[in-house]
Amino acid sequence: MTVDALTPWPDTVDWRPVSPKLITVELIVRWVWTLILIAGLVVGLVLQGHWLWKLGIALLVLNAIWRSFVTVRAVRAWGYAERDNDLLVRHGLLVRRLSIVPYARMQFVDVTAGPLERAFGLATVQLHTAAAASDAQIPGLAPAEASRLRDRLTALGEDRAEGL
Amino acid sequence: MTAAEPPGTALTEPEPRRRLHPLSPVLHGAKSIAVIVAALSWQTLSQVGLERFTLVVAVIAVGVVIFSIVGWLTTGYQVVGRELRISDGVVRRRNRAIPLERLQTVELRRPLLAQLTGLAELRLEVIGGGKTEAPLAYLTVREASSLRDRLLRLAGRTAAVGAQPTDQPVGEAPAAPALERPMLRVSNRDLVVSQLLTPQAFFLPVGVAFVVLQFVMEGSWTFIGIASTVTAMAGVLLQPVRRVLQDWDFRLARDPEGRLAVRYGLLETRSQVVPLNRVQAVGATWPLLWRGQGWLHLRLAIAGNAGEPGGDSKSSDRLLPVGEFATARALVWDVLPGVDLAALATTPPPARARWLNPFSLRAIGVGLTPEVLVTRWGLLTREMHLVPYARLQSVRVVQGPLQRTLGLATVYADTARGRAGQAKDRDLAEAYALAAELAVRARNARGPATVLPTSPAAAAPRDEAYWQRPDGP
Repeated sequence: MTVDALTPWPDTVDWRPVSPKLITVELIVRWVWTLILIAGLVVGLVLQGHWLWKLGIALLVLNAIWRSFVTVRAVRAWGYAERDNDLLVRHGLLVRRLSIVPYARMQFVDVTAGPLERAFGLATVQLHTAAAASDAQIPGLAPAEASRLRDRLTALGEDRAEGL
Repeated sequence: MTAAEPPGTALTEPEPRRRLHPLSPVLHGAKSIAVIVAALSWQTLSQVGLERFTLVVAVIAVGVVIFSIVGWLTTGYQVVGRELRISDGVVRRRNRAIPLERLQTVELRRPLLAQLTGLAELRLEVIGGGKTEAPLAYLTVREASSLRDRLLRLAGRTAAVGAQPTDQPVGEAPAAPALERPMLRVSNRDLVVSQLLTPQAFFLPVGVAFVVLQFVMEGSWTFIGIASTVTAMAGVLLQPVRRVLQDWDFRLARDPEGRLAVRYGLLETRSQVVPLNRVQAVGATWPLLWRGQGWLHLRLAIAGNAGEPGGDSKSSDRLLPVGEFATARALVWDVLPGVDLAALATTPPPARARWLNPFSLRAIGVGLTPEVLVTRWGLLTREMHLVPYARLQSVRVVQGPLQRTLGLATVYADTARGRAGQAKDRDLAEAYALAAELAVRARNARGPATVLPTSPAAAAPRDEAYWQRPDGP
């Protein structure tokens, strides 16, 4: 693999993005929590009427708005690529992570989907190896893509030995 | 029981289920009582008085023994084909099948009470879960060691069929078929000296002075006071003393199949057999206070080894509790063939990483040899970590916000056990290149993909008898 200092190889890999619908899911989760917290603060405001409650609400809203922008970018930062021998996953904005997991080391594959994810037709695929630190999770996949990925991973994993 | 089953026909005739030794509930009970007494502590003793204390302990003891007996009645084990099946549990029944090709190590432990009664505990380490999955406690020593040999033989068969015959050193085994080849013996004098050269031991005089001073000042010499103080002192000294007791008479040998046989312990003797292809990583540590002697200690990381890596009482990860460099070098060469501890060059991170590691920059380093990934760190306590490429599970590149401003990144090489090989604060381009190189080397080290025969265990019929209570021995 040729390495150029200006364009390091992870940028030359053909990254596949996760579904943009994941943004919606994450935003819904974030705003539902924010609204619950705001409701709590409003109750406090009504009962007591101190200006600190208003400040708290304002901060919550600002934080939620800021985090919403971050969420949009964070979801776009997720990417995965299936190479011949390994799966690449990258994610993270503040702390950027890139994982390289060889198919041969796979122990099992998880496909999970919470109620909200299901409502939007999304699923999460996670590849587990014998090392607890391995971190190859891909959220926001369409169910068809998730099951294709799962089948492909398990098929490749079976081909390639015992995993240790 | 000891007769080896011919391969292939293993499933035809299941052998009878066997029970643990009848004395096991008593030993288990004794262990629990010791724990309970310790939990009740001196404080309780002083509050309730000696008679009541004894009574409480006696009642608890009877209860524990009865519980243990019921546990013993429901526990059984059985080797079926290439599987060890263990059933246990009083309230929740559990039947567990352990495919032997997944066996990592087998350890024979003999705590003090077991030594007195001629019994032993057999611990099987398999992957997954933080604790030992299958402790068979207790068996007679003969039974335990013959079961161990048998399990290892069954487990080893896959290794011969499987992917890596290269991992097993060939060419020395046929000469002496039944004899172990001793490799090393750590002298007890060195062991004691090495544990005296620990921070805890250095604190001992300070602690004693403090206690004496306190008594002189206050002038109170009550029994409880002394007892508490002794307990507290024991707490400080526990680790070095425990190390000495545990690593006492440390011996290493190679058995005829090339596996490592490790034996040590004074009050609790342990004897562990480690197939070399199960070694996930080797760690070497040079503690500050040992530098005068030029000593170091070596650890093995084995997948499934219970307990925390790096060391408390529970984990059996010693390769060399204390030794000189030459010894360690020979040992590493034996465990990881082709790796010379004296010739492991590493390169430090770029100079700008000094912002993140103001003092220890020169101590950090990473190097690639043809066989292993070498990482080093630690200014005072120098550490080195060797990960064979064939044992890499995954490779990660992580870049935190501070690292991004400096254009640095950390590469992790994850293994199934122990800490990951960690190339800290490398130049970003270098980090990516290193990750790519590691992935390639890991793949090549594994050799071409081979298709393993599906294990007979997967297809084994779960016959009705399997779910029944165990037959008598």
